Amino acid sequence: MDIPAPEGDSKAMTAKKSLTLKIFLFLVLTDMLETLAQFCFKKSAISSSFPEIDTLAKGFLFLKTVIVSPFLWLALFLVVSIFVIWSTLLSKIDLSVAVPVASFSYITVPLVSAIFLHEQISLLRWSGIALIIAGVILVSVSSVHNEGAL
Amino acid sequence: MKEHIFLIIGMIALTDVCDTCAQLILKSSINSLGWQVSSVKKSLSLILQLLKIPRVWFGFLLSGFSLLFWLAVLARTDLNLAFSIDSMRYILIALASVLFLKEKVSLRRWLGIACVVCGIVFVVLG
Repeated sequence: MDIPAPEGDSKAMTAKKSLTLKIFLFLVLTDMLETLAQFCFKKSAISSSFPEIDTLAKGFLFLKTVIVSPFLWLALFLVVSIFVIWSTLLSKIDLSVAVPVASFSYITVPLVSAIFLHEQISLLRWSGIALIIAGVILVSVSSVHNEGAL
Repeated sequence: MKEHIFLIIGMIALTDVCDTCAQLILKSSINSLGWQVSSVKKSLSLILQLLKIPRVWFGFLLSGFSLLFWLAVLARTDLNLAFSIDSMRYILIALASVLFLKEKVSLRRWLGIACVVCGIVFVVLG
């Protein structure tokens, strides 16, 4: 384990990569920031007084009003931050681990709307949430025991 | 109606293929640098190195296309259907990781991905 991997040996490099709790939490954070960015984009689009865009001229007017919205700039700032965090995470773990684990917003959004907006969660939705959690656990475990497991 | 649904599925597939290619380009560029970043300072220099690689910019362009196709989908169909079909991206990402990045996707990981995809469809339709 202490022996440094020879350069160009990609197998030795990928074998070292495994999911830690810290990386896991950062993946969840990225996913939440992504949701927040979407929210801000939507907010900035709604704040514009040109909801109907059917001509190019109206499109430019729309952009002109949207560009002064603080929500747009917050959203763009979030997009850049997400890119930095995501790239850092990808330097540590497999793509086929990072993407499924970052599916957390499919759980958090219904749960948050159930808690704060008192929306009902149907049985089908609960079973979906359970399946996603099970899936994320399976993918995570498959990354921790990278070699030899199944 | 039948033609309509195939058009929607095709457009979502296009969205997901563009997104998968963008992720592939980013990940393979990061792999080619061969770093494991562990500090904020290092992660910023990783970004600077990445921005020097031309294909990373092509990846940004693909992400932009992906977003455009996705907006076109959303303008045409309801969110539930769109998000259910969109969950195919998890399978595309896994396939692409095996084929192009030589990642080892174990049976356990495939099972996990299948659970996530089914789970998303249930959550969206529920």
